Amino acid sequence: MERQMKSSTRTEKGTTIVDVVGQIDLGSSPALRKTLMESLKGTKSVAINLSAVKYIDSSGIASLLEVLKEARNSEKRLVLFGLTGAVLQVLQLTRLTGVFEIHETEEQALGA
Amino acid sequence: MSFHLKLVVPSDPRFLSIARAAVSEVGAICGLPEETRQGVILAVDEGLANIIRHAYKNRYDHEIELNCQTGPNQIEFTLLDRGEPPDPARICGQPLDEISLSGRGTHLMKAVMDEVYYERLPDGNQCRLIKHLPAAKVRDRPDGPAPG
Repeated sequence: MERQMKSSTRTEKGTTIVDVVGQIDLGSSPALRKTLMESLKGTKSVAINLSAVKYIDSSGIASLLEVLKEARNSEKRLVLFGLTGAVLQVLQLTRLTGVFEIHETEEQALGA
Repeated sequence: MSFHLKLVVPSDPRFLSIARAAVSEVGAICGLPEETRQGVILAVDEGLANIIRHAYKNRYDHEIELNCQTGPNQIEFTLLDRGEPPDPARICGQPLDEISLSGRGTHLMKAVMDEVYYERLPDGNQCRLIKHLPAAKVRDRPDGPAPG
């Protein structure tokens, strides 16, 4: 399992896609938050690819929530896609599956 | 088979992955189903993160002791620190109805583990996390009992 958290950004069909890899925890969530906040600039839509994230804790969830709030405040769209079982489990335990717009694939995230 | 594992890690978030790996293997040895094992890893990780953030106020130059004690019916994780006492309101957790940014760590610990205890010690804090093992059993040695 990729231990270090890494992220990269690209654009598809006018949406900024942030591909995240690795484990998101107390050590890496600040960097993720910073990247995601930056990704909101200059775009109306951000899709976060979590298909390569095998672990996330509450600090990672908090980072996602912060960015979601910022997106809503600036009337921008933020979606998550490719959630692994571990990520989905944490969202379910924290009762947040209904808070985020979640899709299985990138195609679905871009097409919705 | 019962065993005890002790790990002392710096209060530095970079070392959380080491603790998670150890907890993961303990869970595997105890025969936990994958989803349960992921939950236990998360709960212990949240406990460690809470110590770093709240007991040690994000100072990375302290130590956290993680003990894993397994038995026929349960796994018990004990987290020990020498930091500030926890805020009672944080221990109780936060309501999750709104999109709050804090309190979810404690909620996760209590949602995953069967028993969660906090205790103030003379020189620090102790958090005990217990997971029951209703149907799982500790994995035997792969090569069978030792000869003799």
